[in-house]
Amino acid sequence: MAKVMVSLPDDLLAEVDAEARRGGTTRSAVMRDFADAALRRRRESRAAAMRSLLNDAPPHGGHSAEQVKATRPGP
Amino acid sequence: MTTLLLDASVLLAAFDPKDDQHEPARSLLEDEAITLATLDLARHEVANVAVRAWRAPESVAPLLAAIERLVDDGGVISSTDTLVTRAAEIGERQMISIYDAAYAAAADEAGHRLVSCDKRDLVSKDLAALPATARSEARASRRD
Repeated sequence: MAKVMVSLPDDLLAEVDAEARRGGTTRSAVMRDFADAALRRRRESRAAAMRSLLNDAPPHGGHSAEQVKATRPGP
Repeated sequence: MTTLLLDASVLLAAFDPKDDQHEPARSLLEDEAITLATLDLARHEVANVAVRAWRAPESVAPLLAAIERLVDDGGVISSTDTLVTRAAEIGERQMISIYDAAYAAAADEAGHRLVSCDKRDLVSKDLAALPATARSEARASRRD
């Protein structure tokens, strides 16, 4: 696991430390968990939106890579 | 965990049930465990295929909406002078178009893994992985 230096405003650091004391854990673990949870929420939100967008997508001709090349501007 | 950078072919395959990469591409877009990104060029390329090849201009909006969802995930990388210069180098070395090379350059600069359905110019040269392969690799490198 990599060690990094992070700059935080004093009041945010105080909240992180309070959370660590409350959970009986370390400042590093709290920041790690928060970062992980935020990124997971972001991925879950994207995945849910994609499920909705892809529902009932009609068929086309297939061969997506060839279609991309065929419709690019010529030389 | 590796962020996957999708080229236009992956997005198009996910939206086309007729595509032989449809299921793996769709599974990738719907995967909650993997961070996804793309290049701004993809906006033009998916719209171009929807209008000129699919003859389905109504498909442009959902394709662009899918790309917008990536803005809030791994991001949509901007084509800068630096990136296009790097793409020109890759394109010349690998004998591929600047368009394909731009995705490879973007992935390389950001430290992402490029995902494409283009077996001939990208996957065969190990510049990209097919959706199923990339998903499998990314899931194997997960923290949790």
